[in-house]
Amino acid sequence: MSIINRHESQYARSLIEASLDPLVTINTKGKITDMNEALANITGMTREQLTNTDFFDYFTEPQKAREVYLEVFANGSVTDSPLTLRHGKGKLTDVLFNGSVYKDNRGNVLGVVVVARDVTDQKRIATELNEAKISAEKATKVAEEATKVAEEATKVAEEATKVAEESKRKAENATKIAEDAVKAKQQFLSNMSHEIRTPMNAIIGFTKVLLKTDLTAKQKEYLTAIKMSGDSLIVLINDILDLAKVDAGKMTFEQTPFKMVLSLSAMLHLFETKIQEKNLKLVKVYDDNIPEVLVGDPVRLHQIILNLVSNAVKFTSNGKIIISTHLLSEDEKKVTIEFAVTDTGIGIPENKLENIFENFQQATSGTSRLYGGTGLGLAIVKQLVEAQNGTIHVKSQVGEGSTFSFTLSFLKTNADAESELEMVEPDAEIRNIKVLVAEDIAINQLLMKTILDDFGFERDIAENGKIAIEKLKATSYDIILMDLQMPEMNGFEATNYIRNTMNSKVPIIALTADVTTVDLAKCRAVGMNDYIAKPVDERLLYSKIVGLVKKPVPVLEQKVHVQNSGDRIKCIDMDYLIRRTKSNPVLMMEMISLYLEQTPPLISAMKQGLQDKDWNSLYLAVHKMIPSFSIMGISSDFEDMAKKVQEFASTQKHAEEMPALVLQLENICVQACEELEEEFNSIKNTNP
Amino acid sequence: MNNKNKIKIFLVDDDALFLKLLEMDFLQHADFEIETFATGELCIENLSHDPDVIILDYVLDGLDKNAMNGIETLDRIKTFDEHIPVVMLSSQDKIEVAVSCMHHKAFDYVVKSETAFIRLQKAINSIFGFQKLEKQLNWYMERM
Repeated sequence: MSIINRHESQYARSLIEASLDPLVTINTKGKITDMNEALANITGMTREQLTNTDFFDYFTEPQKAREVYLEVFANGSVTDSPLTLRHGKGKLTDVLFNGSVYKDNRGNVLGVVVVARDVTDQKRIATELNEAKISAEKATKVAEEATKVAEEATKVAEEATKVAEESKRKAENATKIAEDAVKAKQQFLSNMSHEIRTPMNAIIGFTKVLLKTDLTAKQKEYLTAIKMSGDSLIVLINDILDLAKVDAGKMTFEQTPFKMVLSLSAMLHLFETKIQEKNLKLVKVYDDNIPEVLVGDPVRLHQIILNLVSNAVKFTSNGKIIISTHLLSEDEKKVTIEFAVTDTGIGIPENKLENIFENFQQATSGTSRLYGGTGLGLAIVKQLVEAQNGTIHVKSQVGEGSTFSFTLSFLKTNADAESELEMVEPDAEIRNIKVLVAEDIAINQLLMKTILDDFGFERDIAENGKIAIEKLKATSYDIILMDLQMPEMNGFEATNYIRNTMNSKVPIIALTADVTTVDLAKCRAVGMNDYIAKPVDERLLYSKIVGLVKKPVPVLEQKVHVQNSGDRIKCIDMDYLIRRTKSNPVLMMEMISLYLEQTPPLISAMKQGLQDKDWNSLYLAVHKMIPSFSIMGISSDFEDMAKKVQEFASTQKHAEEMPALVLQLENICVQACEELEEEFNSIKNTNP
Repeated sequence: MNNKNKIKIFLVDDDALFLKLLEMDFLQHADFEIETFATGELCIENLSHDPDVIILDYVLDGLDKNAMNGIETLDRIKTFDEHIPVVMLSSQDKIEVAVSCMHHKAFDYVVKSETAFIRLQKAINSIFGFQKLEKQLNWYMERM
């Protein structure tokens, strides 16, 4: 070889050796003839080992490598055919096989030059890319899935919202239904109590009326039994209503100033007869440190103590009942008082103590058979005490007695207690009261008529609010008794009209069988002065009417018989006469003058008869006198007195009592004559 | 019967007050012709006025011992004309009194009380109902 050739040859050699890609020449037989260092590195063999070996043995797929090699011969070259080279120690290298034939000067193919480019990195990158792609795709898929899920979730959420809204609506519905149910229950109880009380009202009322008539002992006994049964039925109805009210959270407590001592002792009076009957002793222990006037609900306090004391009386057959009050604590605003009712009765077994405050529970089932009662009393007591944030306890020893104690707090006040309406005795001389009764039920009308006639009040009946208003427009009344439930126009509407349209201040007492607190508030709101529960307690009705009529100075306009008779109480009452003569002054004067004419001779005949012991004359004179008493509205006491005289005269017994009676009759007749003369003159003057 | 349309009623009572009251009631509630007498004697004297009904108090001698009493007056009326219906009135509610009145041919017996007037009205109504029946009966009897 020439020097230039050698140089060129060396130069080419170093280029080949420098290449990082394996380079190899293969002869036509497939044997390696030359190579560079990179091939030795990649196969892990020396040049000597490699030379003259089969080139294809170094690939993982020799067959494929041979095909590529044959392709080079066929086509003259091959580009980027992927193959994998195997290292002697097993390491694989991905290569791209590029080859072309080389020829001698005459164009004979000598072999193939192959460049196997190491594409491990490329491949890795590609793989990584691929993987990345796949994971990207996966990610996308996941994302899509996620989106789907999200969408699903959104859907679900929306559904959930819908469901939530639905259930909210349902809940609201349910609440409303529940509220409605409570309302319905209240209404039902209220209606039922009305329906029950109305007939009870009549039964008890007429029994009372009947009891006042002449009866045989047996009849009286039977009627008393009816009345007692009626009374206890009413108590039961009230109890049930009370419990229902507490259950419904409708029980409200007043905050009125009241005098504790007076309030308690007035209430304990109720038990005096019963306690005397059973020969028990009632001991009252009152803590003087308790402020005189306190603010609270005296009615409910009464109810609590009433229940406890009536239990104590019921279950005690001998010994005593102690009612004590004790000031537990006092600060600037309020006091806490412990009330205790102790008896020496049958006591309660220890294992029953827990249950006695439950509804319809009595200590033993035998108790109710022996002592009666429904077992509602203590349940109400507990409810009433706890609703006022108080506590109740019981201690008991069988055979020794029981102590029920409860604590309640009351606010202190500087205000004076409202003077409690004192019971005015029915015989206190108050007459000339004109009452309008608005009441739709005929039997109640009759009862009210009977009771008011008994009081000696003038009365008028209206079947509903509308008629009551018409009557009130035409005539003036001293007081109105207003039933609440009436057809056409009810008591509230009527009162509202009277107060706001007619601007009348006439006292109005609500008559109601339905004493739920709601109604009472409503009564006050429309301007009623008071209320009275049916069945009407006569004494209570009387004192309420008198109390309300007396308070404002009675407006007795255009009443001809009004006069100033000084301090003396009038013995006559013109009501009957006015009614019978239809206020005709001429007739009234005629009647009065007839009385004035006929009475003096009767008085003298009576006196003469007594003096002469002419019992028949006395009898006849008094007999003639009797009808005039009721005509002139003289108290029936005198009529009774006259009848007594008659009886004594005909039987000729008790002659010694006669003079006093005759004197009284004389006095009342003389007084009546004087008063009637005044009356006569005043009628004459006002009706010239 | 009377020629006049109005029913004539005699009220006899020595209790002027009650008498007046009764008169008032009768005049207010129905269109009657009323004559009132304080004694049985006055009533008898005026029987010629032809009363349709007489309401007679049982005790007429309360003040005047010599006055004619209710039963005597009743007997005298019945002697005068036994067809005049008489309703007895008394503040006595003794059964013997009532029975004795009925034995003396009173049409009815009413106790003086708040509701006396109503019961008198009823008695008068039944008197006329009774008289009408009697008349009808007579009419048929005559034709049998």
